[in-house]
Amino acid sequence: MFGLSTLGMVRKPPRDAGFAASGGGVSGYSGIGVEKFVYDDGIVRKFVMATVLWGVVAMLVGVIVAIQLVAPLAVKWEMGGVRPLAFLDFLTTTSFLSFGRLRPLHTNAAIFAFAGNSIFAGIYYSTQRLCKARMFSDVLSKLHFWGWQGIIVAAALTLPLGITQGKEYAELEWPIDLAIAVVWVGFFGVNFFGTLMRRRERHMYVALWFYIATIATVAVLHVFNSLAIPATLTRSYSVYAGVQDAFMQWWYGHNAVAFFLTTPFLGMMYYFLPKAAERPVYSYRLSIVHFWSLVFLYIWAGPHHLHYTALPAWASSLGMVFSLMLWMPSWGGMINGLLTLRGAWNRVSADPILKFFVVGITFYGMSTFEGPMLSIKSVNALSHYTDWTIAHVHAGALGWNGFMTFGMIYWLLPRLFQTEIWSKKMVAAHFWLGTIGIVLYIIPIYWAGVTQGLMWRAFDETGRLQFPDFVETLTALMPMYWVRIIGGTLFLIGMIMCGINAVMTWKARPRAYVEPVQEAAALTAGYSDDPVPSSRLGANLEIAKEIDAKLIQGWFHRVWERKPLKFTILTIAAVVVASLFEIIPTFLIRSNVPSIASVQPYTPLELVGREIYISEGCYNCHSQMIRPIWAETKRYGEFSKAGEFVYDHPFQWGSRRIGPDLAREGGRQSHDWHVRHLESPQQLIPQSIMPSYAHLLKEDLDFDGVQRHVDVMAMLGVPYGDALKNANSMARAQANEIAQQLSAQGGYEFYVPGGGRIEDVAAAERDGYRLANKKVIALVAYLQRLGQDISKPAPVPATDPAAPGASGVGAVSSRATQK
Amino acid sequence: MKETKPQVLAHEYDGICEYDNPTPGWWHLIFVGSVVFAGMYMVFWHFSPLAWSEKDAWKSAQVREYKRIFGAVGDLKNDVPTLIAMKSKPEMMAIAEGMYIGNCAQCHAKDGGGVNGVNLTDNSYKNVKEMTDVFTVITNGAANGAMPSWRALFSENERVLLAAYVSGLRGTTPANPKPPEGNEIAAWPVK
Repeated sequence: MFGLSTLGMVRKPPRDAGFAASGGGVSGYSGIGVEKFVYDDGIVRKFVMATVLWGVVAMLVGVIVAIQLVAPLAVKWEMGGVRPLAFLDFLTTTSFLSFGRLRPLHTNAAIFAFAGNSIFAGIYYSTQRLCKARMFSDVLSKLHFWGWQGIIVAAALTLPLGITQGKEYAELEWPIDLAIAVVWVGFFGVNFFGTLMRRRERHMYVALWFYIATIATVAVLHVFNSLAIPATLTRSYSVYAGVQDAFMQWWYGHNAVAFFLTTPFLGMMYYFLPKAAERPVYSYRLSIVHFWSLVFLYIWAGPHHLHYTALPAWASSLGMVFSLMLWMPSWGGMINGLLTLRGAWNRVSADPILKFFVVGITFYGMSTFEGPMLSIKSVNALSHYTDWTIAHVHAGALGWNGFMTFGMIYWLLPRLFQTEIWSKKMVAAHFWLGTIGIVLYIIPIYWAGVTQGLMWRAFDETGRLQFPDFVETLTALMPMYWVRIIGGTLFLIGMIMCGINAVMTWKARPRAYVEPVQEAAALTAGYSDDPVPSSRLGANLEIAKEIDAKLIQGWFHRVWERKPLKFTILTIAAVVVASLFEIIPTFLIRSNVPSIASVQPYTPLELVGREIYISEGCYNCHSQMIRPIWAETKRYGEFSKAGEFVYDHPFQWGSRRIGPDLAREGGRQSHDWHVRHLESPQQLIPQSIMPSYAHLLKEDLDFDGVQRHVDVMAMLGVPYGDALKNANSMARAQANEIAQQLSAQGGYEFYVPGGGRIEDVAAAERDGYRLANKKVIALVAYLQRLGQDISKPAPVPATDPAAPGASGVGAVSSRATQK
Repeated sequence: MKETKPQVLAHEYDGICEYDNPTPGWWHLIFVGSVVFAGMYMVFWHFSPLAWSEKDAWKSAQVREYKRIFGAVGDLKNDVPTLIAMKSKPEMMAIAEGMYIGNCAQCHAKDGGGVNGVNLTDNSYKNVKEMTDVFTVITNGAANGAMPSWRALFSENERVLLAAYVSGLRGTTPANPKPPEGNEIAAWPVK
């Protein structure tokens, strides 16, 4: 079909300035049915600019949250009677700017806004050219663009307000989740597959395979992890609980890394790298093998985020071994990228775009070696809950996603805006600033991770924990956190330079863009595939010969490459089958979650306390999962059991301990301690870096709203008895009881803004300062419940076993009578 | 094979061509190796009688560590001679100090001077009249739960050690002592 003219030579895209936008240009063949069309580069321009804008926002928020981790101590520094950093105080005292609320904003912005728009830019540019077709529908393109930006804005507004589902990288609440599904599948998916259907290129290039895997799998992941029942417009409950929710979340979380941050970028690498290097791709065969092995193996690896937890051991083992098997499929992409540059290395030293690609691919190789390493259980025992994970993620996000995006943007800018790039020097400077920024970010954070991991497990010769005081293991990290801020800031400055370059290049655009008319023949029916190659085997079985000829030598795959529907179905099948192997046993085998009779549902008040815990993003710093590791049970108490989490919609195991684990926090401190600690952690623990939650002492609890939450939990199968009818009054009763205990402990009865206790009770009552009505009481009720149930006797089945009030409220009073 | 120049395949997409290079041999080797390892790992850890679980490992650590700490002293009782004996053993007090810093110091301060918990270094006590009452307060809690119960978190041996350590704080000089609360009580017995 293509003739032999391409054999042995590389077709170079036209390089005349300003006109390079036309890419490959018109194909060399012509004949019957030649059609004329124009690529839609306007949509690519939009996505590129959005990438740059959200990149700046995501990285700025990143620097802010990094500062928040040092700010509580930094504000106290004194030099000659002044506290030069006291102005940072607002970062630790403003409720909507607290770390727990901003950190999800940072991760969501980096993944879905920055990397997301980058993916769309790359896919919209390359798909049209690889299909020799304009996008299926300009309307869908626009809906996709504006819909996605709307979702990002909604995220940026709701997350600081504490509207969250409390699952990492899946925090956005149900209305936004629905919008994501519509935009992703209905606009993006339809537009992409419609373009594939209308393509004028018979076979699909490897980049398109990766795009197919991305679009199909992300849709599956998003829909099944986000299944939830709404209680209000801004609050929904995951249909999964405890161990199963944890499994689904990390099936999603890990594969968001795989299919949002890896496969689309590999696809973009396969297009933009050979374009920029003007070299053929190293190995077509390797691209087939590593594509299918990657797609099939990645999906199993999620449980490696849950080693040593209450997840069943077999799932954890599968997560580990599949991660190990992923090493080579991942490196297949790296090899194909780096070896494509063979013969072009002299150009790499001169071309900053290729430099971005080389460093990006190298970081991909590093991260995909480190990932399997971290999945080894004994390595994970050290690294889990520490900054090591954070460093690993940033090597991937800054190095791979960041640098691949930058290389692509700088390659696209002159082509999209049909003019010279505004400043080549700035591109080169960005490369070096970015590289130094990554190094200054990840090295101290690796160091911090290993340091803290070793400190947690250190015993001295007498057999006691060497660092029993948790906060000691945190203050040791502060110097590293400062270096991280420098590294992150450098990377942010590079991102801003990219933005300036993009805007200035845009400003120098021609009055009207030249839109070259492309020509290509429409695909015709009756295509005959290449002849089946002859088998390389000697006189063997016929079947072996056939397998060699058709499968091993890739003939079959070549056929699939011209059948997008079949290709997509095969991809989805690979992903879904692999998922079901893990999901079905996790949900159906009862022994995976052995029930514990004494574990009872949260009382209505504890349930809304849990709402506050989720809303404040406590899980961003506190885990609730004690692993069966001696140093850990020594520090936090008995290790967590699967049966303890059966009513946890959603689970709150966490993934990082910036503060101590809270799985057994119940009963460990007095109510009074908790209230004062939430008001200002530093008044009890001077070295603490926890922000102040004084607003919880001032804001009223919505008792009338309690019932809705209880009802939804009951819908999910949580056995609420009496609480189904009178959740409100039960919550009030328990709140009053806790408030009484609090005041008997010498704690606050009223809380006046500005602090302190008051003399005029009647006035305080009138002004609504009674603590019994405040959010903090619900949060304290929840914290005091955590981890308590397994040490209680099982309830007597003769009475109503489902009455949560009996267990929960009773738990508090029984503690009170222990005095 | 190795010497032949790679061929460019007879297809191109938007100017991009592909070589027909074979996948590298070492790539196959490691990939197949990892698959074989995965199979062996699963078979050993989940289907062989030789395997042990994470929980088994934790149990044996528990036995080992208990032996290391309490092997020489056996089961401890909350009585005056035991408390006095423990106070004189620096290695036992080091263990107790670790427990104290990790669990008690947030309210009572590392040096016992008190934060929002009482000062443990002066001669005044609210719920303690005799040395053995310290253990009772640790075990059951006090003051309407202002002092929580530690029965679930610490074994009896550990609570005896902790009681000995806390009684030993009396008479030390903390950096920022809270004012005395409760009633002054007689000095601890010496034997």
